[in-house]
Amino acid sequence: MSELLSRDDFRTALENAIKGKSANKSPFSLAWAGGTLSREQLARWAENHFHYVGPFADYLGYVYARMPAQHVEAKDFLLANMYEEEIGGDRHTDLLIRFAEACGTSRERVTDENNMSPTTRALQAWCYAVAMREDPVVAVAGLVVGLESQVPSIYRKQTPTLREKYGFTDEEVEFFDLHIVSDEIHGERGYQIVLELANTPELQARCLKICEVGAQMRLLYTTALYNDYVAVQAEVEEAIAA
Amino acid sequence: MPQVVFHKNGQTFTDEVKANTNLVVRAGIKQFPFPHLKYQCGMGKCATCACEVLAGGDQLPPPNWKEKKQLGDRIDGGWRLACQLWLDHDIELRQDDPACT
Repeated sequence: MSELLSRDDFRTALENAIKGKSANKSPFSLAWAGGTLSREQLARWAENHFHYVGPFADYLGYVYARMPAQHVEAKDFLLANMYEEEIGGDRHTDLLIRFAEACGTSRERVTDENNMSPTTRALQAWCYAVAMREDPVVAVAGLVVGLESQVPSIYRKQTPTLREKYGFTDEEVEFFDLHIVSDEIHGERGYQIVLELANTPELQARCLKICEVGAQMRLLYTTALYNDYVAVQAEVEEAIAA
Repeated sequence: MPQVVFHKNGQTFTDEVKANTNLVVRAGIKQFPFPHLKYQCGMGKCATCACEVLAGGDQLPPPNWKEKKQLGDRIDGGWRLACQLWLDHDIELRQDDPACT
């Protein structure tokens, strides 16, 4: 890419970079939306998801520290995002644990990092690496635009299913409801920062690439959840039946 | 596109928004009704975004469990939590600061 894209063209390019690898298309997301997962499988999801989203404020903390002081709005956004994740209302991970408990697992199991899959560990490590090593604008593109902004569209599909097909109560699925509003704000603010601060063709190209990689990482993570917890169980059941 | 009329401390602000819009999300990204709409948690826990619906309330879905919990009897007076509403139609709302009520 040799020329600077206009804001509108850059936004479209960012959206397209994410769209191709959206986690909405992963087999785990499709099984979830189809209502075919067991509570046990949803519990495994929660035990993994905690270790991906739990440190989100930590990831952003590294980006905040490395964001140049003159980018006041961007720094304020990162700080507000961290605050909202942790202490703005209920701590978001506490709501995830409430859902996990409704699925039959425990706070102790969820917070125990030994219960995450190697792929979840890879996604968490990738998030830390991006936060610590990338240009802070590129890191916002990867973590906020590439990952966080996908969440509302995923949860909009998954939340009604949790109530209607899996029989969870409103309070048990509050984690998902909440993210439809808060991540929509965070994702959109992330777009505004990236559109404003990625002001060279090189930075724009790096933002586009990291959005694509971030979406790939999330797809890899959810696909691995399917392979580790759904496909494996199906194979065991088939073997028993045979 | 839905038209939103927003009354705040005796002033009136009007703008159009896209269909399926949440006003707290809009305020969060610094678009109308920013900076007039007060909100905080964005998750139906604090009721900072509570608004009195003056017109268009009949087209909203019934209050959800969070609104019932936070607003109690105020629901009967036409109050709703803006963070819980996704708008597809015209609406008129009022949110005054306590000193101005």
